[in-house]
Amino acid sequence: MSGGLVFQKIKGMFSLGRILGVFKKKKTISLGFYGAVNAGKTTLANRISMDWLGEEVGVVSEIPHETRDIQKVENVKVDTEAGSLNMNIIDMPGIATQVDFKEFEKFGLTEEESKNRAKEATKGVIEAIKWLNNVDAVLVVMDSTRDPYTQVNITIIGNLEARDIPMIVIANKIDSEDASPESIENAFPQHVVVQVSASTGDNMDDLYTAIHKHLT
Amino acid sequence: MAAKKSGSAGKKKTQKKKMAKAKEREIRLDFIPSEMLLRKNTDDKLEMILSKVKKNIIVVLEEALTPEEESILIQNAMEEIDSKDFFGIEFYRMGHKDVGIFDRLSSFLTKRRSGMTIVGPTRMVEAIKKEPDHISVFAKVGG
Repeated sequence: MSGGLVFQKIKGMFSLGRILGVFKKKKTISLGFYGAVNAGKTTLANRISMDWLGEEVGVVSEIPHETRDIQKVENVKVDTEAGSLNMNIIDMPGIATQVDFKEFEKFGLTEEESKNRAKEATKGVIEAIKWLNNVDAVLVVMDSTRDPYTQVNITIIGNLEARDIPMIVIANKIDSEDASPESIENAFPQHVVVQVSASTGDNMDDLYTAIHKHLT
Repeated sequence: MAAKKSGSAGKKKTQKKKMAKAKEREIRLDFIPSEMLLRKNTDDKLEMILSKVKKNIIVVLEEALTPEEESILIQNAMEEIDSKDFFGIEFYRMGHKDVGIFDRLSSFLTKRRSGMTIVGPTRMVEAIKKEPDHISVFAKVGG
């Protein structure tokens, strides 16, 4: 273990949030879903909301930046083996460092539709980053079929660490043949990683238990 | 005399065109040393980065941006995106969290940050990938 990692672990153990957490457990947590574009955030938010409320949070699409506004579902009561918890699900637009309207034209959108979508997408990214100040805990959703060591993932995790916001890293899409959730575990060894498939529902019970254990 | 004047004007035009074409084919990297960065506050630093990147310059900073600076850089880049010339940035930060305890101590004492950050326009820098022993920047000309 490197000196930096040891430093991180010690810092995490004695952080103000962690110390206060021993004395106080929040009744309802605002759970933000962060991640790169098309990582499966809305699919996961929908899965959780459908499991416990029977309603969806948002629309899922293969066209990037489908979620361009922050979408909320409140008072989702989840029962786990360890106990029950109440949460507000906040599905964020995907974080990106670039938005090229021409990418949307490849999916059959007109030039005007693409430009509008690009404009909304850039606003969505800005809003999602601003909302980091309003969430109690975060699920950082990553696509297991992609290289996890991207600047977007590094920036999201770095900001959560700097703000002392508890998080779980989600290795999503494990049902895919190309999935390599181990590469996510190797990239972020200092964080709890839960492997799931939001589309098939694989390992969702593990996720609920982990949320109860690490985020409340 | 008039013929001579119009001839030299023509030459100048051709030279300008040649220079413009050469500019389209060139990749420019600006290295910003830590001494220079120490003198700038976050806003000035990020403004300098983005103004260079918008001119198709790849910027290499001799320090790691903090996560907060990275998130502001992304937000500022999003605000600047248009549908003509600028579609965003590609960047990569190494160091900062990855460095050892002695590097941290040295950074604390000298007020200098270790690490490095590379930022480029997405139309030019296609990808920046971290390999086990190096970082690869994939850039193209005339993007």
